[in-house]
Amino acid sequence: MKFHRRTLLTLAGTFLPPFSALHGRSLDTDSFAPQQVVVKLFGAGLGSLDSYGTGVLVTAEGHVLTVASHLVSAGFLTAVTSDGKRFAAETVATEPSLDAALLKLKTEPSDQFPCIDLKSALDPEPGTPVLAWSNMFRVAAGNEPVSIVHGVIAASVPLEAVQGKWKFPLQSRVWLIDAITNNSGAAGGLLTDDSGRPVGLIGREIRHAVSGTWVNYAVPLTTLRPAVEAMLEGRKLAAAQPQRNTPALSARELTARFGLALMPAVLERTPAWVDGVIPGSTAAAAGIRRGDLIVLIGDAVITSEADARRRLAEYRPGQKIAITVSRDEQLQELSLVVAASATDNR
Amino acid sequence: MGRCSVCLLVFLSTLTPLTAEDLRQNERQRIEVIQRIAPSVVCVMDSAGAGGGSGVLISADGFAISNYHVTSGSASFLKCGLNDGKVYDAVLVGIDPTGDVSLIQLQGRTDFPFATPGNSDNVRAGDQCLALGNPFLLASDFSPTVTWGIVSGTRRYQYPANTFLEYTDCIQIDASINPGNSGGPLFDIQGRWIGINGRASFEKRGRVNSGAAYAISVNQVLNFIDHLKCGLIVDHGRTDFTVESDEQFNVIVRQVSELSEAWRRGLRSGAILESFAGRQLSSANDFQNVVGIFPEGTRIPLVWRDRSGRHSATVRLGPLHSFRKAPELPQERRQGPPDEQAEAEAQEQPSAELQKLFIARDGFSNYYYNQLATQQLLTPLRMRLADIPPAAAWKIQLNSVEQDPGLQAELVVTADTIGLRLNDRSWLQNTTQPNMQEEPAMFPGFLIAIGQLHRMLQKEGPAFDELTAAGKTLHLPSGRTLKVLNARSGTRLARWYFDDQEALPVALDLEPEAATDEIRLIFADWKTWQGVIFPERLGIVDPATEQVRWLQTSDAIGKQESGK
Repeated sequence: MKFHRRTLLTLAGTFLPPFSALHGRSLDTDSFAPQQVVVKLFGAGLGSLDSYGTGVLVTAEGHVLTVASHLVSAGFLTAVTSDGKRFAAETVATEPSLDAALLKLKTEPSDQFPCIDLKSALDPEPGTPVLAWSNMFRVAAGNEPVSIVHGVIAASVPLEAVQGKWKFPLQSRVWLIDAITNNSGAAGGLLTDDSGRPVGLIGREIRHAVSGTWVNYAVPLTTLRPAVEAMLEGRKLAAAQPQRNTPALSARELTARFGLALMPAVLERTPAWVDGVIPGSTAAAAGIRRGDLIVLIGDAVITSEADARRRLAEYRPGQKIAITVSRDEQLQELSLVVAASATDNR
Repeated sequence: MGRCSVCLLVFLSTLTPLTAEDLRQNERQRIEVIQRIAPSVVCVMDSAGAGGGSGVLISADGFAISNYHVTSGSASFLKCGLNDGKVYDAVLVGIDPTGDVSLIQLQGRTDFPFATPGNSDNVRAGDQCLALGNPFLLASDFSPTVTWGIVSGTRRYQYPANTFLEYTDCIQIDASINPGNSGGPLFDIQGRWIGINGRASFEKRGRVNSGAAYAISVNQVLNFIDHLKCGLIVDHGRTDFTVESDEQFNVIVRQVSELSEAWRRGLRSGAILESFAGRQLSSANDFQNVVGIFPEGTRIPLVWRDRSGRHSATVRLGPLHSFRKAPELPQERRQGPPDEQAEAEAQEQPSAELQKLFIARDGFSNYYYNQLATQQLLTPLRMRLADIPPAAAWKIQLNSVEQDPGLQAELVVTADTIGLRLNDRSWLQNTTQPNMQEEPAMFPGFLIAIGQLHRMLQKEGPAFDELTAAGKTLHLPSGRTLKVLNARSGTRLARWYFDDQEALPVALDLEPEAATDEIRLIFADWKTWQGVIFPERLGIVDPATEQVRWLQTSDAIGKQESGK
């Protein structure tokens, strides 16, 4: 994409048809800029997990914000920009507490993209009319414009949702929307006000923990902005790019330091199953049991046994670690304090 | 920040907030529009008054459009409820199975309220829209349910999902669409009819609204409406070549049938197809979308580019499915009661008067309407021919004008022979067993076409095996939308074109032999000569250039006895 600034601005004015009269008033054509910043994502799906999703360009160099879904963790992502061009996309970082992932399109250094300015994101009140822009149901292909649905911000609430049997890890206030955004491929799309100004990131296909109904929600961009900035600057710890300066603990070190043994890594991605806990150890004190599956350490999703050893290596004596395990199909959050006596000889 | 200098600065919008009075006025206008359009909305049921979907009246004489998947569960007769609370008898007229459209006619009134179509090509994503219909069969008093939403996308293509129902160039909306809405109208916020709601993305919630529904564009419906009124099983078109998209958003021609018109015009694999039917293309989806909105038999202009430059030509679309009978849909696609036994028992016998309005025949949805439409073309033709004495033979003098000054031709036509003398050469064609060797190279097929004209202008009526009205189509190169009468004799199909002013045909397209170019004649200024009616000017379309070569009639004589 060898765009120049002028080309981009012209595109916004001419490429797209005029937006007419939502809620009885006319909107100028620039409102269609969301069409330009939303990208269609394609990756690996399996069974009920779709192979497609949506993302939003947040930098001119081609950083894309989306949800931290299976598409991101599986890798091999392709992004299709509004002009129909295809790019490979790699994960820069994820932020599980906000269910956010930052991708980078593999581009030429000179490539420039239209993007939203997160600093200009609005924080509207419930009752505000909104539009949701997404690749839902993969209706649009190539350079075809993404689907738009309309609605109103119904409430601003903490999300209590489940994904299958799991508690959904998102720990932020979200907007509930009265439009149906809970659709295949819509997650990671852009929520704007009815003038096209950016507001939020469309959430995933999850159900409410109590009612079991499908939740239509979006995470405010004002909430996501610090995390995106951190991910851009590489400040935040990120599962996708483990910090290389702390080597992973060996299985022996893990047992020595925490009194914890994990199922040996027979495959590249052997899950972090707890194989044994030494009585009286730090792990035992935290309540970890044989058979637990470690799913979160701090706010990082643990995808494998190796991932757990790498993550636990980062903590120093006296630090408190929040470890979330899955036990009997329930998530349990345990607290582990790294004991001074458990320090190894280094 | 340097980075943000290229961000789209679109967030400077200075909209003034709506006042409470604005909102009230919008609401009043919306209510007024709904009151105006609701009477045209039809609740479509089978003849037992069960099951159902929706429809929309399009004319005061009771013609109404619905989905094929709504009416296909019913027999030829239906019951329809309007928002006056009354139930009307209706008869199935025409079907377009591929496009999922059907035409029915409500009976008993000549002043039905009806919807006025808008131009669906002008619909834009973001436009407000109103969907009216009978979701979940809620309207026990037949007052339609109204749902409001926005257009989520236009020019969408939806693959035939396990069926032949293909949605091309359709309008995607977020207004709630549920089972029972099918066949009902989509209106823009001014109350203009812009589509037929027929399909939705149903997924994890089951068969209920998911915020993604699809309406067949009214422009596509209107392309088929005259065909439907002719009681046909209307077919969609296909091309004799395939295309695919490339990475640069070009549409590349792949396989071209060597027997096709496109091949004869020079279209080859590897060419870039720039436009089709006047629409610029940037993907194979674009192409599918355009092809899908035309009936079979439509002549379409196309433009392509290859190593030797840019070319244009016209090609006729072939038939896609050639259904001889109304095709069956999988049960889950049909609406209405699944228990056919119960249905059959509950159905009341339609009145004798109603039964007259339906004639079953292969290749037709309702042959009664085809007879009606065919007679509407033939009756004025016969009246016009009644003025002249019967003539078994013609002798016609023709001179060329413009391109070929000095060209002189004489035509002698009888029931079984056509003779042409063109300057110093002559040809003799046998009409019962025509031979392409006996055709002038300058206009191959001309003699055979003149033979067909002779059959058409018989005083006792056209002499063909079968005459069927075939709707209206765009005629090229005139660019006029004209009525079509298909005349078959043996396997030969002649397409005769009629306008509203002239009882006599204004054009003829005829394929003289399989896999050869059509001979395309234009008839201008019909004149009664000495015992014969013949056009003063006869145009012949050059298939390669689409230019018309005109011949001027200087004299014509009709004779009672054979002119051999």
